[in-house]
Amino acid sequence: MRLPDGYQERIYTPQQARSVEAVWRHEEPCAGRSLILPDGRCDVIVRYNADPDAVPRLVVTGPATQPYWVEFEAGDRWIGVRLRPERGRVLWGDALGGAKDQVALGDEAAALVPELAGLSVAGFAETNLRHALVRFVEGRPLSPEGHRVGETVRRLHLTGGRFSVAELADRAGCSTRHLNRMFASTVGLSVKTYASLVQFHRALRLVCEAGGSLSDAAFEAGYADQAHMTRAMRRFGGFAPSDVPEGLIRPDVSGGLWGNRAT
Amino acid sequence: MKLGYTIIYVKNVPETVAFYETAFGLSQRFMHESTLYAEMETGETVLSFSAEEVIELDGLAFAPNEKGATPAGWEICFITEDVRAAFEKAVKAGCSPVSKPHEVPWGQTISYVRDLNGCLVEIATPMNLGG
Repeated sequence: MRLPDGYQERIYTPQQARSVEAVWRHEEPCAGRSLILPDGRCDVIVRYNADPDAVPRLVVTGPATQPYWVEFEAGDRWIGVRLRPERGRVLWGDALGGAKDQVALGDEAAALVPELAGLSVAGFAETNLRHALVRFVEGRPLSPEGHRVGETVRRLHLTGGRFSVAELADRAGCSTRHLNRMFASTVGLSVKTYASLVQFHRALRLVCEAGGSLSDAAFEAGYADQAHMTRAMRRFGGFAPSDVPEGLIRPDVSGGLWGNRAT
Repeated sequence: MKLGYTIIYVKNVPETVAFYETAFGLSQRFMHESTLYAEMETGETVLSFSAEEVIELDGLAFAPNEKGATPAGWEICFITEDVRAAFEKAVKAGCSPVSKPHEVPWGQTISYVRDLNGCLVEIATPMNLGG
């Protein structure tokens, strides 16, 4: 499924940046609304408009576990930096625990990332904005815990979210309790929730591109049966597998390690 | 259909190629400029290594090969006349021994190691079927 018009991504490979997963931009020529699928990651976004008098707004998203609609006016534009899952703390700090499904706007966002508050000024240049966002994120080093969690995130993506938390903890060399604690403090979600999101995104891809039946997709994705897949799609997408919306934005939510699906 | 490739998904392709050159005496035939894919010189059926990170975009998922984890249920098998020497060379290079060289009832000498990524590798003498 090709990405909808107006949406572009540039994926950062491990060699280029350890903290930024992708820098994305989006523009909407007409007013409307879009469905955003949850991916368990945090983004820092500047939302502005083609109208140079419009004041840009800073937005910080917490790890999302539910789909949500974004409304927009004609000419609205966004530049965002998507962080690797284990970097949630970079944006939210100690507030990460309460950041699930939250979005910080305006003053709230500026309070979280005061270094970026200066970007909410009319008349900036888009490239400066992108550089400022990336520099900000790259300037925050990852804790040792974050590195460990990063390894588990990698396994989660390779396995399509099919490994149990016990198996993941075993490979990480710690208890399931410890692994969950580390996830909570770096990603802001439980291991199981994040795994379910990975499994959902893979199932969505299989439904759209595997060339088999829904039942085939459910089985390959690791669901007990098609009903379980349907339940997951309703929970994370708000739609049934037989009814995937047209023009859905499906950004690369793999480990962010390779490839650029946008042109 | 012809069997074209055995492709092993690994964390680090150049490291695996170097390891197979040292441990098993193979030579690299091809390395993609991205270093995400390489082929060894193994005759008509190619032994390749591919980076794990590329799989998700194709919708693939699997249990990754890891030294500390239970290996997957398959192996690659190298054939040689001097299994003992080859086994020692492999272990010296860093393979974990699983089963040292021993003769089996039908006259073959076989042995097993696990490579740097935890994959099962058999080193054995040729099997003469219908001897």
